[in-house]
Amino acid sequence: MTYGSTAHPQASKPLCDLKSNPECELECDTENLSQGLARLSALNGPGKPAVQRALPLDATALPSTGEALLRRAWPAEGGVFDELRQADGRLRSSWARMAQLMPPAFSGVDAAASLDRRLTQVVERIRQDGVTHNVFSETGVAARPWSLELLPMIIEAADWARIERGVAQRAAVLQALLDDVYGPQQVLHEGLLPPALVLRHPGYLRPLQGVAVPGGQRLYILAFDLVRAADGDWWVLAQRTQSPSGLGYVMHNRLVISRQFPDAFRELDVQHLASGFRRLLDTLEARARLVARGQAPRLVFLTSGLYSETYFEHAYLARYLGLPLVEGSDLTVLAEGLYLKTVEGLQPVHGVLRRLDDDFCDPLELRPDSALGVPGLLQVARAGKVVLANALGSAFLESPALMGFLPGIAQRLCGQALELPSVPSWWCGEPAAWADVQRQMDGKLLRSTFPQGGRTSQVHEFSAAAIASDPEAWTLQNQMRFSRAPIWSQAAVQPRPAVVRVYAVADTQGRWHVLPGGMTRVAPREHSSLSMQRGGTSLDTWVLSDAPVDPFSMLPPRLTAADIRQRRSPVSSRTGENLFWMGRYTERTEQQVRLVRCLLQVVDTDNDADSAALLVMSQLATLAGLVPEAVPTLGQSKHLFQRALLAELSRAEGAFSVSFNLHALERTAQALRERLSVEQWGLMRQMGADFATALAGASGQLPGPIRVVAALDQLALQLAAATGAQTDRMTRDHGWRLLTVGRLIERLVGLCARLERFAAEQILASASGVELLLDLFDSAITFRARYQRHDDLMALTELLVIDNANPRALAGVLRRLRTELRKLPGDSAWHDLLLSRLPAEGAGLSLEALDGLDDSQAQGVLRERALQLGTAASALADDISHRYFTLPGGADQAQLV
Amino acid sequence: MNASGVINPSGAPDAYRPDSLALDIHHETTYGYAQPVAQSHHVAHLKPLQDEAQVLLDFDLTVSPHPDSWRESLDSFGNGCVHFALSQPHRELHVQARSRVRVWDRFALLDAQAGEAWETLRDRMRYVACAPYDPAVQFVQPSPFVPRLEALRGYGLAAFVPQVPTAQAALALMQRIYADFEYRSSSTAVDTPVAQAFAQRSGVCQDLAHVMIGACRMVGVPARYVSGYLLTHAADGSHAMVGADASHAWVQVYAPGTPGLPADGWLDFDPTNNRIPGLEHVRLAVGRDYGDVTPLRGVIRGGGRHTLSVGVTTRRRPGAAALGPVVAS
Repeated sequence: MTYGSTAHPQASKPLCDLKSNPECELECDTENLSQGLARLSALNGPGKPAVQRALPLDATALPSTGEALLRRAWPAEGGVFDELRQADGRLRSSWARMAQLMPPAFSGVDAAASLDRRLTQVVERIRQDGVTHNVFSETGVAARPWSLELLPMIIEAADWARIERGVAQRAAVLQALLDDVYGPQQVLHEGLLPPALVLRHPGYLRPLQGVAVPGGQRLYILAFDLVRAADGDWWVLAQRTQSPSGLGYVMHNRLVISRQFPDAFRELDVQHLASGFRRLLDTLEARARLVARGQAPRLVFLTSGLYSETYFEHAYLARYLGLPLVEGSDLTVLAEGLYLKTVEGLQPVHGVLRRLDDDFCDPLELRPDSALGVPGLLQVARAGKVVLANALGSAFLESPALMGFLPGIAQRLCGQALELPSVPSWWCGEPAAWADVQRQMDGKLLRSTFPQGGRTSQVHEFSAAAIASDPEAWTLQNQMRFSRAPIWSQAAVQPRPAVVRVYAVADTQGRWHVLPGGMTRVAPREHSSLSMQRGGTSLDTWVLSDAPVDPFSMLPPRLTAADIRQRRSPVSSRTGENLFWMGRYTERTEQQVRLVRCLLQVVDTDNDADSAALLVMSQLATLAGLVPEAVPTLGQSKHLFQRALLAELSRAEGAFSVSFNLHALERTAQALRERLSVEQWGLMRQMGADFATALAGASGQLPGPIRVVAALDQLALQLAAATGAQTDRMTRDHGWRLLTVGRLIERLVGLCARLERFAAEQILASASGVELLLDLFDSAITFRARYQRHDDLMALTELLVIDNANPRALAGVLRRLRTELRKLPGDSAWHDLLLSRLPAEGAGLSLEALDGLDDSQAQGVLRERALQLGTAASALADDISHRYFTLPGGADQAQLV
Repeated sequence: MNASGVINPSGAPDAYRPDSLALDIHHETTYGYAQPVAQSHHVAHLKPLQDEAQVLLDFDLTVSPHPDSWRESLDSFGNGCVHFALSQPHRELHVQARSRVRVWDRFALLDAQAGEAWETLRDRMRYVACAPYDPAVQFVQPSPFVPRLEALRGYGLAAFVPQVPTAQAALALMQRIYADFEYRSSSTAVDTPVAQAFAQRSGVCQDLAHVMIGACRMVGVPARYVSGYLLTHAADGSHAMVGADASHAWVQVYAPGTPGLPADGWLDFDPTNNRIPGLEHVRLAVGRDYGDVTPLRGVIRGGGRHTLSVGVTTRRRPGAAALGPVVAS
């Protein structure tokens, strides 16, 4: 993703968007086994399968799939827990059952090919659904396809029962700790928690000390990273409390992988996830009800924006949960209340499910350089007028240094021993602990106690000097050897170090429920990071059940349910604006495609176009951004003109031609993902990708006109499909209306510009001029059918200006525009104001007005009309933008005196 | 808004000399905007602190245009603050604070040469499991405007020599900063990092305060930032003070147990003027650093380019030079 500059005001984003998400970052232990294992595996080879293919109905009788898996598995490593095999080398019972239930093709000779095929399907599905995460580098942000393995991580019911109990308890302890720190601070006064871990941590927010939250609930959802030690016990590696990421990917991983193994998924009684999401929404809604005072509570999903690492899942979750996806700039604070700017005016907001880190939430009292937050939000929170899930100020709970103090805190605040242990850690700020641990430093990791570089904690090279200089800033942690989860890669079942992220959700009774599933991440090899930023990959996580599975599913049938929800919630100004621009970009691209085709024809067929016509076409090309201004006109050099035209076509940056607009269209669609169907979104991306592929030639070479025309034809078809989907498959709410108005305004602007140029240069009296203009208005067929070869100016005016049944005639565009404008939100005075920009009926021109005029005079009249209508269209766009989209005044700026 | 009141002037301070001074302060901030500001949110720390050595006789804060949201509260450090917001378009913002304060000399009986060695205090600030908690520990932590700076450790240790009482060491540090640093009114901005001010050995009162705070913290002694006002001329009329034409800033160092110190254990130092504040300093607010007690901060939407003027005058109340028992105005 690059930062382009376009007319679209939301295209450029401040740099602080470039914030990587700390929560995905994890390091794992360092060994080097992979090479040796690879060699071993090569020696053994996959082996020649001696077994016959299984009969579909007789899976148990076969040595089949289970053996196929075992045969292709790398040998188990010593000293770690193998998720696939028992100590005796046989499959663990869950995997034995799984193997039996895998499709028969997995046994026998085809196993490898079959697994490969399915892996390809997984990758393809992810590509089709546009599941991405944004990767950060020095050069910017790039969207990468999400990485998902074919084989799931399987957790047995008994293991899960322990995890569930331990995680729910830990969540309750964290909640109690948070309440204490923002309340009486007993843990500090009694010396159970070092003050520095709170008072020095930037995540402890002093402005919220002593502030009550609605319903007394600070935490709604928490995430815990778990690892399994060699003896099979589970440990907590990290906890995430601010706005844990991953749930959207968890949902999508499940969707993809359960379809690959439908029988196994059903027969193994894998627990479903949907009820956990429902609970989150229920709890949030119940708390929001407390602040809504009798109104229906309105909830929104606050994203950190298009360029955040996990934007895909923000859009995905917002759509799944049916919440409007908003950015900070869509919200505003008035009189200690929070409001959403919608095209229908300000609407109160009572609950915010947020994916924006604490310090970015309010530039007034937190980070003043945050352009992503809502000025005054803290004051709303202090006034108890909004529910934030999670409440601000919990980030200090994420510090690795906290781990060592949790057992004492659990005992003091909850009267319980922690059931699930934390990975052993030593905070160096406690002189006794530091003295103790430095005697045996083997197998320890050095972590920063406080956030660094936007991450919760970072691993550092061990340095006694650094610790001595500022001991409180450092925490030592035991380097665990993680269990090995099997993945299918390079024709082998390979063991990979795994971390499982699970999620706990609060209910309204103060209990915690653990979502049965989660996201397992594996590192590509030893030595390396599990970070999805750096090549880690994810596994669907199956939790087996002894009890009946809760089949509740929230996933709506495509389009319809989401559309219905959408109708209920108001269209945010940002969404409205993006839809408006989607309409404009779609139309603009369509017009460009048509113009390029005409231009190529003019260049190609050495036709009789006179010099005036060539000049007009050149001017139009410049106006439309197809060629730079300095390029020689068609009349001066057809060759140079064509070169420039072709060169600009594929430039997405520094140009305003077709590729640029396709790019802008894609970005707009990206911002609208929570509203668009998967197909529609896919089409938007496809157009750009196909066009780029079709034009890509040998390096440095321009594509030839023939290839370009083919690419344009293909694009024209896709644009027609996109327009069709916009017309036919979207709910006709205010958002859709804005999209349509955007398209009509753009059409009016474009057509008027063409007519104006043709009339100004007086070429509508010539056959070639008429021919060209008819082409540009896409009206040649109708014209010939009606008027045959009478290249008459009156006939031309009738069809292109006055005929309101012609969708490309000015009167036709205006008729539809008037209809839609009247339906925009607002009172009749507002509608009258908008309509007063346009002629009361038709195009404001009658044929009679041209009677008796000579060609030159008639063209003067036409030109005047086109100019006026073009100006009116631009003025309308301004009116609409002012009223519905912009919070007046532009961006926020912080001031200190 | 009008907060008036000396509740019990006679409750003031036997421990102090009976000298006191009544001061009138007028603090005016005006923003002019090239474009209309559509919406703005502000937090003001403009109301002087009240305790037994500083009594607020009268206070008035006016904002124009009239804010449509106004909330007074105490922040987590106990400072009075006001949150206000304007949602009508405006091209000018005018904030005017008028305070009338009576100040006693809190440190008149100070004996900086006595008290426990600073190392004892430093060690008490370190965490020991289940040991009692001293809230001053938050002022030994680095803070956004005063991050840890290794260079300040050595600089501080030159004053914090072994086994010296905390107050005496801090006094030496202040003198050192006063000698080493040049006060230059436009050499820094409000967000100049302490490292830069330290490297160039110059800055305004805010920078000098941050340097002194940073050095104290690096050696393990709690120190905090005081925002306030300064009488234009020394109380005895002897000489002009630096930093009186704007809001001023200085430092408090935690030196509990020093003879002659108020019970809270905080001792003020003004490194810009090289003196321990007496009757000329009016305290507005205390915090970890400038960021906690910025007199007026805001986020505006729109506005374009702006002009800013800040004016502060601090005067002795005419005819209020009398010593002895105080009468409310």
